[in-house]
Amino acid sequence: MAELQIYESYQRLLQNEELSTPLAAILALTEMMERSRAGTMFELLNELKGGAESLSRQTSNPIGLNAGCELFIEFITLFPHDAASFSELKRELIRQGQQYAKQALTYRTRIAELAFDFIKDDSVILTHSYSRVVLKTLLMAHKRKRISVFVTEARPRGMGIKTAEILQASGIPCTVVLDSAVAYAIEKVDFVLMGSEAVVESGGLVNAVGSNQIAIIAKAANKPFYALAESYKFHRMFPLSQYDLPSHHPRLLSFPQALGAGSGSSSVRRPSESSLPLLDHAPSIKITQEDIARNNPDVDYTRPDLITLVFSDVGSLTPEGVSQYLVGMFAG
Amino acid sequence: MASDPQSAANQRIVEDLVSRLRRRQVVGSRATALETLLVLRQVVSKARFSNIDQLINIIRTVGRRLVEAQPKEHSVGNTVRKVLHHIREEYHTASERPAVETSFSIAKFVLQGQPRKQQTTVPKSETRIPLKENDPDDPDSFARVLKPVLMEAIQDVFDELETVYDNISKNAKDHIHSDEIILTLGMSRTVESFLKAAAHNRNYTVIIAETAPSYGGREMGKSLSSAGISTFLVPDSSIYALMSRVNKVILGAHAILANGGMFATSGSLLAATAAREYSTPVVVCAGQFKLTPLWNLYHEYGALDFGDPSAVLGFDEGDLVEKVDVVNPYYDYVRPDLLDVFITNYGDHPPSSIYRLLKETYDDEDNEL
Repeated sequence: MAELQIYESYQRLLQNEELSTPLAAILALTEMMERSRAGTMFELLNELKGGAESLSRQTSNPIGLNAGCELFIEFITLFPHDAASFSELKRELIRQGQQYAKQALTYRTRIAELAFDFIKDDSVILTHSYSRVVLKTLLMAHKRKRISVFVTEARPRGMGIKTAEILQASGIPCTVVLDSAVAYAIEKVDFVLMGSEAVVESGGLVNAVGSNQIAIIAKAANKPFYALAESYKFHRMFPLSQYDLPSHHPRLLSFPQALGAGSGSSSVRRPSESSLPLLDHAPSIKITQEDIARNNPDVDYTRPDLITLVFSDVGSLTPEGVSQYLVGMFAG
Repeated sequence: MASDPQSAANQRIVEDLVSRLRRRQVVGSRATALETLLVLRQVVSKARFSNIDQLINIIRTVGRRLVEAQPKEHSVGNTVRKVLHHIREEYHTASERPAVETSFSIAKFVLQGQPRKQQTTVPKSETRIPLKENDPDDPDSFARVLKPVLMEAIQDVFDELETVYDNISKNAKDHIHSDEIILTLGMSRTVESFLKAAAHNRNYTVIIAETAPSYGGREMGKSLSSAGISTFLVPDSSIYALMSRVNKVILGAHAILANGGMFATSGSLLAATAAREYSTPVVVCAGQFKLTPLWNLYHEYGALDFGDPSAVLGFDEGDLVEKVDVVNPYYDYVRPDLLDVFITNYGDHPPSSIYRLLKETYDDEDNEL
């Protein structure tokens, strides 16, 4: 029951265009606290941890919301309290959570201001997929500088098109680039601006799939690669490869089963395909976009050595600088 | 306020330094830092203020004036920022109000980490005179109480500048080993004292590029060889050829930027790039006053400082002078990934943690003076 409720409130909160997943998770937890009948701190924390776990179980890509939940629960654990009654303390914690969520909405403006100094007049910027903080930065830069933007299509979700529509509507010259054409476009680009789902302890970046290859291309072309991330996206995780991300599951990139009894065709198809003249033997298998998307990852991990700087509301950081904040919160 | 004689005297010393900076009569990061500090000391000692904001405003105005006079001499701004930081610190300890409020929030948790037991306020034995801001009866009382402390704080910055070379050279023997071949270039007082300090304990060889067109390398060579170090002076063009034999490149800096990159004598980029090719470590020696809270200067060509082109192409070559543009940049911008370590009077740091050093040294609100 509680599991359903927290997932419902999380989904409802995400309807709000301004709320990103970590903040929605924090707010969902505060709502859970409001409902909670826990009488001690221990019980409350257990409930919250259970709630966070069930949220994470019910979403396919839990990285962002994990970051939010961990931050909030760690904060509650360490909250110095001398409140007389437990219910008073609980009210205070709920208030803190809500206040933070409200305050955190201003972070994008701060990041945009930081990044603004790095955008010089007449820049050509490459961005990927859809990110509210990147959008804010670009719209702000447009007011005072001439910029033009390449945005990748970002398959499979195609969110880049949404970015392009918004940018064009506000008068910024903007072209959608195929994900496969980034290497072609990079020479025209001055620098890359990238949003993020999470920034991990190594200083690396978790973001919509394709970010990693853009970073590699940018590095090869010697173009700066700037990541934008609000500090609530800092996540205590140390992935060593793509497959360490919690969003990875064995089905991703798996090879299809050799087609079962009915169609032994898969073994027949291979030779027929290589001998082109036999085209009338048209393949009996249709691959749809949905099939492709199902077997492909939503997010990927970008190594810190490919990132020039991370702009965040706590300042412009080198990728290594991110770990300082994480260690400050979670260790010591 | 401009009419009262004390601030007029202040105006005069500020204007004096402004014009000397403009005419490049004061050059070099340390010299300008010292001069700036002297002016600030004068200004603070003569200033009239009845609360902290007024004082900070006065210093900022002076700072802005000086920075505008020579915007590419970054140590001027750095010194002003450092003094402001110290003044705020002194003010917070003097007025017993704790600098940070005790309320705890998630934003603060992210920024400052886990809550610490705030028991660090050691009860001082000295009897404190209460600080009174904006006292209507006696507007000078605030200044009277605070000034001695401030002068002490400025003196601390002063002492630090005086001893900067010694402190950097302190660990020189841990960085240079016997029989090593070191490459350096240009004339940097910091590197000079660093190498000389190492020579007390180690026997090593220095190769110095002569660093045209200023030929600072020749001066450096003279100084090092007279200190008994085995020294080779080579033309700049042979840096790459010699790099395979070099164990370490030691460079000086003009300014260290927040991303861990630096401005250094032109030629440094050449040496650092050649060193990268041979995976030779690049060590930078610089005082803390060269730390500059700037992230993005290097975007622009104009961020470099240009010197007199006649050193490159004399006016006697009249025919040619008309046909070509001659530039003589003082500095190179060296990217952080080409550098391995900064040796400062506050310890050794990799380029990636320079931003942190900056946060500790200056207050964020002063980054823009």
